[in-house]
Amino acid sequence: MKKVLVLLVVLVAMTGLVFAAGAQEAEDDKITIVVMPKLVGIPYFNASEEGALQAGEDLGVEVIYTGPTTADAAEQVKMLEDLISKGVDVIAVAPNDAVALTPVLMKAKNAGIVIFDWDTPADPSVVDISVHQIDDQKFGEHMWDLLVEEMGPTGEYAIVTGGLSAANLNTWIDYGLDYAKMNYPGLKLVTDRVPTDEKQQVAYQKTLDLIKAYPNLKGIVGVSTPAPLGAAQAVQEKGKNDSIAVVGSSLPTDSGPYLEDGSLRVGTLWDPAKLGYLTVVLAYNYLNGTKPYDGQEIENVGTITVWDDNRTVIMGPPADFTKENYASYSF
Amino acid sequence: MQSKLKKVFSSKEGVLFVIFVLIFILMSILSPHKFLSNYNIQSLAYQLPEFGILSLSMMLIIMTGGINLSLTFTATLSMIVGGLAMSSSFESTGMAFLSVLIGVVIMLLVSAVLGMFNGLVVSYIGVTPMLATLGASTLFEGISLNITKGGAISGFPFMFLNIGNSAILGIPVPMIIFIVVLVYMWILLEKSRMGAAIVMIGCNPKVAEYSGIRVKKILFQTYIISGILAGIAGIIMASRYNSAKESYGSSYLLQSVAASVLGGTNISGGEGKVLGTLLAAMILQIISSGLNIFGLNRYLTNVLMGFILILVLAINFITDYLKKNK
Repeated sequence: MKKVLVLLVVLVAMTGLVFAAGAQEAEDDKITIVVMPKLVGIPYFNASEEGALQAGEDLGVEVIYTGPTTADAAEQVKMLEDLISKGVDVIAVAPNDAVALTPVLMKAKNAGIVIFDWDTPADPSVVDISVHQIDDQKFGEHMWDLLVEEMGPTGEYAIVTGGLSAANLNTWIDYGLDYAKMNYPGLKLVTDRVPTDEKQQVAYQKTLDLIKAYPNLKGIVGVSTPAPLGAAQAVQEKGKNDSIAVVGSSLPTDSGPYLEDGSLRVGTLWDPAKLGYLTVVLAYNYLNGTKPYDGQEIENVGTITVWDDNRTVIMGPPADFTKENYASYSF
Repeated sequence: MQSKLKKVFSSKEGVLFVIFVLIFILMSILSPHKFLSNYNIQSLAYQLPEFGILSLSMMLIIMTGGINLSLTFTATLSMIVGGLAMSSSFESTGMAFLSVLIGVVIMLLVSAVLGMFNGLVVSYIGVTPMLATLGASTLFEGISLNITKGGAISGFPFMFLNIGNSAILGIPVPMIIFIVVLVYMWILLEKSRMGAAIVMIGCNPKVAEYSGIRVKKILFQTYIISGILAGIAGIIMASRYNSAKESYGSSYLLQSVAASVLGGTNISGGEGKVLGTLLAAMILQIISSGLNIFGLNRYLTNVLMGFILILVLAINFITDYLKKNK
């Protein structure tokens, strides 16, 4: 038993040394900006991590990019509580659920931390600056425009979405549906939006089911980055590239193979790396007393729009990815 | 004296305690001013109870030889139904205390009913626990989503937030609830006839049946208790997050299995200690918070947790083996 205990002590001590060597504690006088995504480890948030860290390097500030490994609001709350203990200057968070984070963000604010949200809005009453990638209404409408461009103004279509509780996805779909009702009365939605847990595999399965259940399906809108890929994969497997048009929000490099064979007609999105970059730059400016203003030119990002409330920042219009241009993007 | 000490440290709980102390010291060395800060110790005390109670609930079921995969969705469905009742009664009557009371009672009732459902399917219909609770988890999630339409239920009276966010005599309210649950669980498992029956069922249900234990009834009751515990965790979570939603705490599901097993619960049933699970939950909690403060990549945190889990299991196996061959 003694031996086992000794072994244990040595092991734990070793692990400690390894980690102590691998990372360093933040110096207290350096500005520390936390950028927290909904979850880590999906291509979208990996891309924004690159942008955020790059901005940290360019500006000479410490950027901590960390988040839960599953899209769980409870996990985010715990991590934020820990980060308040750590003591940081700015917390920029993409909440999995806005209300759930209100108490902890309030705590952070009381501790003197500047609160940003990015990618997805948090409770406006606790947020100092809200960084949006896009105008939600325009983006929703844009996706339906793309759909009609590819499948024509009449016919059956379905919506494959990341999850039923994701506020931004729901907002785009709601705007898109309203827009379709007004402008494309010939479109017929076959079933409620189909949730896919933000997973390509699930989107693929559910799309196979959709194709089987609705033989006259002409179009699919995939909302959330893995959804259009899964849908395209299913369409390709069933050899329906010509009869079913898949469009949606996807990352260009991931979409490449599907754009090449035509199972995905067009993808649309903003550059998540730029979004991460912009968030860090704005946080840095804010700490130095410069608030964002309309028409401000941000280096490496472009011209931003700021709403009349002086705290909602819009990064810019979406970019469309097609067979011809996808290779020119790096994310 | 020495042999007594030796006995304590060669028990599973003793090993866990040593590990806990070592990790605590390690974390304190890694970030001295932050990990040991008053604020962080407070925030640990607020974070632990919801996870600890879910782990105890999971442990109870694992002890019977089953597993409860619907644990977190039991918690969230009951908080959604209770939360809905609470916010709508607060809206219509404006009476905070009454609404909180209604909400909490309904949360507990719903969790008991959901536990009852699991118990019914497992003990009386005889479906394997893993399949029964997997099905139940999808069912509960589906019902939750139908109620919330994917959003969160909010608009609770301010008084309700006190449950998860305030302290009495410096002790956080969730911690007090957790201590009550711990004492109850200890009495249930160590001192009551039902506890003995649960252990026997976990070891061998057939033998238990032949020795006059009403296996079905005990199993049924165990699932109800597990459900109510999940409901209590749900109340704390709803209060801490000021809202109710189906996905809250989803990451706790496998962590609670990990805490149970790390705490010395035999995954095939028949063995489990409240103290062990408590220590295991505390270990996982300080690793998670400590490394987060330290600023370690979240994946590595998961890797390290898995590593420690396997390490402890290996140590337990080796000590058991050595004991048998003495």
